[in-house]
Amino acid sequence: MKGGSKVIVEPHRHEGVFVAKGKEDALVTKNMVPGEAVYNEKRIAVQNEDGTKVEYRVWNPFRSKLAAAILGGVDNIWIKPGAKVLYLGAASGTTVSHVSDVVGPNGVVYAVEFSHRSGRDLVNMAKKRTNVIPIIEDARHPAKYRMLVGMVDVIFSDVAQPDQARILALNASYFLKAGGHFVISIKANCIDSTVPAEAVFQSEVKKLQQEQFKPFEQVTLEPFERDHACVVGGYRMPKKQKAAA
Amino acid sequence: MSSLRNAISRRAHKERAQPSSRKKFGLLEKHKDYVVRAKAFHKKEETLRASLFKLKEKAAFRNPDEFYFQMIKTRTVDGVHKPESQANKYTQEELMLMKTQDIGYILQKLQSERKKIEKLTAVLHSVDNHPSNRHIYYAEDREEARELQSQASESRVTPPSGDIPDHIKRKTAASYRELEARNSRVNQLEKLYMEMSLKKELQKKGRKRKLREDELVCPTSKPVYKWRSERKR
Repeated sequence: MKGGSKVIVEPHRHEGVFVAKGKEDALVTKNMVPGEAVYNEKRIAVQNEDGTKVEYRVWNPFRSKLAAAILGGVDNIWIKPGAKVLYLGAASGTTVSHVSDVVGPNGVVYAVEFSHRSGRDLVNMAKKRTNVIPIIEDARHPAKYRMLVGMVDVIFSDVAQPDQARILALNASYFLKAGGHFVISIKANCIDSTVPAEAVFQSEVKKLQQEQFKPFEQVTLEPFERDHACVVGGYRMPKKQKAAA
Repeated sequence: MSSLRNAISRRAHKERAQPSSRKKFGLLEKHKDYVVRAKAFHKKEETLRASLFKLKEKAAFRNPDEFYFQMIKTRTVDGVHKPESQANKYTQEELMLMKTQDIGYILQKLQSERKKIEKLTAVLHSVDNHPSNRHIYYAEDREEARELQSQASESRVTPPSGDIPDHIKRKTAASYRELEARNSRVNQLEKLYMEMSLKKELQKKGRKRKLREDELVCPTSKPVYKWRSERKR
């Protein structure tokens, strides 16, 4: 082809995530369902050397806190190809669709959402993606969906509730394997709007530490969200591994 | 014959320039330019003469009983005809409506520009730039903290991807330039919109006054007005 291709897609530091360079300079994931966009995001088709076409979807950090955290330079998201993920607060499934792209056909995403309205979009999205299992239930009562969910490697929580640490702990006690990981997005305003955001993040981290979670790192989601933070860590981490690391 | 003449190289024809002694008259006019100018001049002269003749004729055949309202509405001052004043051409309501329409247009442009920015920022993540946010690491003891500190200084630096062709780099740069231009345009439009809507509010009914410099809570360069609170039904 004369002049070369218009876009170059390179793998990102995180497995399963890619970076597209061209007219756009964006985080992308490999589309599991080529030819379909979930929330009208841009799609980028790239031709390989052997003539096969791969389609990528742009991951909008203004609509997805996970993408914002990745661009914020988080060290490890623990969501990688083949991982089993429990996603609390899936909403319409915009981020879930990208997580499903990242984990690929060998992984599973259990997406929990309470609201029926946005749950409808979630279910429609899950119809086309075999690795997404939509669950329209209250994340406060994991016992209700314990029959649907197996043990998972990672829990991603984006519930924006004052008791979100408790919700995460409850779900982790049911489904998260020992030595598994969690990613929680904290919106300061949803927990306590009267104290500064930094203090809210700190108190949430404290709460998590009391529930057998071991936070590793925290990134704020600045240019994309205001007063948001993403905390990443492990659950019931073995003592020995910590000494080695 | 002519081909033979062409075989011998002739001296190149050089145009005459304005002599330095006549430099103050500007560039030397060439004859063909003069011809165009002169023709245009004479044409205008002719039409002027013709119209003057027509006017003279009109004056000669004037009907002294003729009346137009313009004759009493306007007058001449020192021989100069003063046209009717345009100041009260529109009523207050009409002026208000026109202003509203102007503001509406600006708002529409502002919103369309905002939409375009949203679309651009959705695909321009400045992946290679350093994130401007806060990154905190949690350690259990001092040793781990020290380790993390040494690791962090290395890992935060994302290696710039080297093998990107120039034409793609140019494209990316152009996109970022477009985004920047649109951002500055939105700023300007926003400012304009605020100014226009303030003017419109000031023209409405309601008692208000400009706050003095010492009354401002947070000083700005723009004037600040305060409306008298009015009891609504």
